[in-house]
Amino acid sequence: MTDWNAMSDAEFRKEVRGFFEAEYPEELRHLPHRPKFCEIEPWHRKLHARGWVAPAWPAEYGGMGLNAAKLLIFYEEQQRWGVNRGRDMGVQMVGPLIIKFGTQEQKDYWLPRILSCEDIWCQGYSEPGAGSDLANLRTRAEIDGDEFVINGQKIWTTMAHDATHIFMLVRTEPDTPRKQQGISFVLAPMDQPGVEVRTITTLSGETEFCEVFFDNARTPRENLVGELNKGWSMAKALLSFERIFIGAPSLAQNALGQLESFARGRGAFDDPVFRDRFAQAALDVEDHAALYARFADQLKRGETLGADVSMLKIWVTECFQRITELMIEAAGPDGGTVGPLQVGNVSVDVLASFYKARPTTIYGGSNEIQRNILSKAVLGLPG
Amino acid sequence: MQSSEQEEDLRLLRESARTLFDRAGGSGRARKLRDAGGEFDPDMIRELAEAGVFGVAVPEDQGGLGMGLAAGGVIAEEAGRVIAPEPVVATIGLGLGLLHRLCPDHPKLAQLIGGEASLAVAWQERGPGGAPAQATCRYAEGKLTGGKAWVVGAAGSQGFLVVAEGDDGPVLVLAEVGAAGLVTNTRAQADGSSLGELSFSATPAEELASGAAVRNALAEAVADATALAAAELVGLCQRAFEITLDYIKTREQFDKPIGSFQVIQHRAVDLNVMCEVAQAGVREVLARMDGETDANTRSRLASRAKARAVTAARKVTRDAIQLHGAVGYTDEFDIGLYMNRALVLSAWLGDDAYHRRAWFDAREEEGAAQ
Repeated sequence: MTDWNAMSDAEFRKEVRGFFEAEYPEELRHLPHRPKFCEIEPWHRKLHARGWVAPAWPAEYGGMGLNAAKLLIFYEEQQRWGVNRGRDMGVQMVGPLIIKFGTQEQKDYWLPRILSCEDIWCQGYSEPGAGSDLANLRTRAEIDGDEFVINGQKIWTTMAHDATHIFMLVRTEPDTPRKQQGISFVLAPMDQPGVEVRTITTLSGETEFCEVFFDNARTPRENLVGELNKGWSMAKALLSFERIFIGAPSLAQNALGQLESFARGRGAFDDPVFRDRFAQAALDVEDHAALYARFADQLKRGETLGADVSMLKIWVTECFQRITELMIEAAGPDGGTVGPLQVGNVSVDVLASFYKARPTTIYGGSNEIQRNILSKAVLGLPG
Repeated sequence: MQSSEQEEDLRLLRESARTLFDRAGGSGRARKLRDAGGEFDPDMIRELAEAGVFGVAVPEDQGGLGMGLAAGGVIAEEAGRVIAPEPVVATIGLGLGLLHRLCPDHPKLAQLIGGEASLAVAWQERGPGGAPAQATCRYAEGKLTGGKAWVVGAAGSQGFLVVAEGDDGPVLVLAEVGAAGLVTNTRAQADGSSLGELSFSATPAEELASGAAVRNALAEAVADATALAAAELVGLCQRAFEITLDYIKTREQFDKPIGSFQVIQHRAVDLNVMCEVAQAGVREVLARMDGETDANTRSRLASRAKARAVTAARKVTRDAIQLHGAVGYTDEFDIGLYMNRALVLSAWLGDDAYHRRAWFDAREEEGAAQ
């Protein structure tokens, strides 16, 4: 087995880049939507054959065992080439959860099925009354013999209509002094009479989010991960790497590149006001990348990231939105037109970018929640 | 990314510079000097020189520390934190930047590094409308004629390094204070400092260098000073934010610290993010300029740094006044001194709008060249 971490950063980057450039299907580069599994299955097979499905997992579980430095390189190259992350909830969330808190039986059973995509996972966290205030969740799981019986509703469940399993936070103890208590992690199959999935049509017309209704759905008791009623702290522990990932520069960088070719083609740079606004946006992206590099270096040195990493997400998502507004501005009278706009040999879907930027300030902890976190945990402000 | 050894060197340099400035009285020293009507403190110049501050970016074989602009940035940030009125950045970036590039053997280089001489650089000129204009100040047969404007540190200076037009292109000359035909006027600045306006009429001066080398060295030195001024603003922002954060934690209204109100908290977070982005961006620029030889790229990088720093300083110092409430509008609180210093440093060598233009143009030029 290759010890990727023993390679130099440059060698490793070359290896990853070479594989993506040679093997990733051209027609799947920079996909504007989240694919169903069948769309990207051929690519998944290649990754699986090479043992690259789970870059962050330890090698003993079938992962690449990458350290933080190598992992960042892997993701940077993935984003650079526009490689779709695929249906990676299992790899990103369920795997690490089971590896950290699961029993040997759970590891032996679930992990290989995640890698092969025999099981495709969706994440059941948010509920209608539990968005930013996630701990307010009310979906119940009651023990009935060897099973949990689940009742309630999840929402914003990404790609639930193309998933075989859901990993979810449920309330297993209704009356606790603090609402963070009494929450547990359970795994449940989607294909059963008590589970109903309805897609949500978004502003962009996509249907990647779903509502999932549970009406006496059942899952075996052995599908509890970790201790009963201790799910909240486990969920928090899972988010550490996510927090830098969600603030990575790539979304804004790619949008800026699109803006530049589009604006150039449309002659928008003839306008000194537009030039200034473009320069502002471009410098916002460059300086964000410098701050991102500072946090990434911290990870590479093996340090744990503090709550201050949230500032990356605030800055880059708001910057991404400003860039998409500039695209609309550059489009002039075509600013409300649906579909790709052709400029010379570039084609830019201005509205698709605009819609894509909207939820970024809402998901993963809205930017207002991030500001609350920073004000308390980093600035030490009271109340 | 810098090596860990370099990082450690910079950390030690930062510690010693901070100790030096704090021992000298921190921001209180700036207030005292302003109130006394003095420009800056000659003892402080000597102390800074003894600590090697001025020579940080001068190559070792020319008597400096050879630590590069990144180290200059550390010094500039620390000077900014205590709003030190001394022309530290002007000396490191402009004065020494010109001398070490053009005449490394001239005794003034060692004197400037050693704090035994103070020299201000006069290179810009004011046009009839008051705005910066093409240089017309002439140097011929050992004499200077014309004028120069926006000279930082002119009031406390023993001489001037003047960039003038000679018979064969630009020249760098040295004119001593008190030389015949030299008249120095000053324009008072918001922070209590002043900028010099010089006029020369057949003023004798010593030629130090001439030709295209002067033009190139000036461009390089201005780029250095621009990026260092950005670093000074970064340090200033950081400290202005800390002062404000302390204030909103202690000031009570409605029986609570005002920092417990969410709207104040979110504004404070935005200032903090602004400071961190500026610090990361400017430090990255300085490190990259050290490894960059292309003049156009260096000046683009410097513009990126100054554009960011001025944008951040405007937001941070103005919001800092607002978050202080009515006392922010008094002279008694230090926060106003930070805003005043930010006004001066922002206007010097180009503000954010200017540098976004310069950045965009430099980028287009690089794009066209490729």
